[in-house]
Amino acid sequence: MMQIIIQGLLLSGLYALIAMGFMLIFSIGRTLNLAYGAYIMVGGYIYFWLSQQIGMPKVVGFLGAVVVGAIMGLLKHRLIVKPLKGDPVAVEISTLILAVIMQSAVVLLFGDASKILLPIIPGVVTISGAQVTYNILAATVMSWVIILALYAFIRGTHTGRAMQAVSMDQKGAAISGVDPDRINMITWAISGGLGAAGGVFFASYTQLSPTMWVAPVIISVAIVIVGGIGSIIGTLIVAHIIGFLEIIVVAVWAPELRGVFTMLLIIGVLIMRPQGLFGREEH
Amino acid sequence: MNLRPHHFLLWAAFIALMFAMPQFVGNGTLRTMIFACYLAIFAISWDILSGRTGYISFGHPFLVGIGAYTTAILTRRYGFPVEASIPLAVLFTMIGGLIVLLPALRIKGSYFALVTLAVMELMYQLVPVVRPDLTGGTRGISRLPALTRGAENGYYLAAGLMLAIALFAWLLMRTRLGTALWAIGMNEESVRGSGLSTTRLKSFAFLVSAAIAGLGGAFYAHYLGTITPRAFFDINVLFQIIVAVLIGGAGTILGPIIGAFFMVFMLEWLRPFLPGQERFFVYGLIALLLYMYQPKGIMAIIDSGWAKLRGART
Repeated sequence: MMQIIIQGLLLSGLYALIAMGFMLIFSIGRTLNLAYGAYIMVGGYIYFWLSQQIGMPKVVGFLGAVVVGAIMGLLKHRLIVKPLKGDPVAVEISTLILAVIMQSAVVLLFGDASKILLPIIPGVVTISGAQVTYNILAATVMSWVIILALYAFIRGTHTGRAMQAVSMDQKGAAISGVDPDRINMITWAISGGLGAAGGVFFASYTQLSPTMWVAPVIISVAIVIVGGIGSIIGTLIVAHIIGFLEIIVVAVWAPELRGVFTMLLIIGVLIMRPQGLFGREEH
Repeated sequence: MNLRPHHFLLWAAFIALMFAMPQFVGNGTLRTMIFACYLAIFAISWDILSGRTGYISFGHPFLVGIGAYTTAILTRRYGFPVEASIPLAVLFTMIGGLIVLLPALRIKGSYFALVTLAVMELMYQLVPVVRPDLTGGTRGISRLPALTRGAENGYYLAAGLMLAIALFAWLLMRTRLGTALWAIGMNEESVRGSGLSTTRLKSFAFLVSAAIAGLGGAFYAHYLGTITPRAFFDINVLFQIIVAVLIGGAGTILGPIIGAFFMVFMLEWLRPFLPGQERFFVYGLIALLLYMYQPKGIMAIIDSGWAKLRGART
């Protein structure tokens, strides 16, 4: 029982972090950024390259991953999203193509075989009978720190509030003196950085492989859709619902069925309540 | 219907050209063309639903997969003859698609794409787990009965099937129904405003699309002889289908065919220069650049080039 609660909390924290960056883009442009998985994958691989192949300190590896992710986000906004003028279908399809390109780029550079990431912090601690590696504990603590910082940023700073305004109504925000273009760029960069950071932790939780980007994208999509667009609290709650759901299914049922209930949840919620459980009505 | 004599002439020329192919090219090229024909079938199926109505389906491999798996299970596990299993596969694809995706037609835009993507991923995770004695688990089903022998016969079958489907789709799109589907893609509200039931129209498009996907999937499974979950319910399969349509030109009949042949042959031609994974990188890059340059695809590029030529002459 304790095992399930602890593992559930750890996995949910990770999922919440991954979903945050996706949520930002989805709420601001209503576009499915399928290349979000590419940030996760690239983040994991950059960290692997810097810290394990070149032998840099782990902090440098992590920061490098975040910076590369942010740059990717910016480039994507400049080179793909802006020229397509935000046409959602075109953006969705071009991001799908981009994600597959990134996948083959990773195979090209690092090979087809999956790689194990060394633990970010080695060691094991026993909490009331449950074995928890420091690595996953650190990942969860870090994701909570990042999530809280993001929450403070969005709620507390001028730029953060402008992001919210743009996500609610682009024209209205522009009239009130917010430059939607600048806000869009900032959001894409933050989303890329968050994705890459999530990727480092996700890779240390599972492993690095060129196809690792699909599962996190679907999970973040699920969390954001079920949680409701633009709701950080909703995203957090649903990340925990899905995290616990997966852990419980694995523990009491069968590991192969892990993703099945997540999928059923997305399909059910999308059909019953397209605006999500905690989202605002779309007009 | 507005059929003109030159339409028949063009179709006859196209069919004759496709069937004369084995006289000019070797068996290796024919095998590539067989694959292109099947991809074209899936692309036409995707285009009927998504290219026309604007409802982007990310779950088409799911429909193709149901068709392939139904015929595989029926022939290998229950000893059905192919003549019975393929029509049943088409029927099952339509039913399966209807149950799963019809509720999804109530929702719009990105949400529809998402539900279909989730359905495909759900299928990928369920197929190996539920009744592995039937589906063969992750290893899939092998030694399916072959429909034809040799590259040449296989090509005639694939090309014949593709041409029949293309002709059917072309005729369908020239009816008022086709026009109505187009109109949904333009502006759904106004179609409903003019007294048509958009739900019925969309369901119809969906059923036709599912039937074609199931038919193509069933024949493709028999051509391959072996099927696995990863070969069907995969995002890379989806990528190939969508890219074929978009590169060729969505909302046309010839577009998906041109796109499928272009993409498949580009992959083949790149092989001598880039033997490894680089090929897929370059392939994706070309697809992205072409899409960014002209989202309406090769058809639009040809059209505008043709218009320029004619403009220059007069």
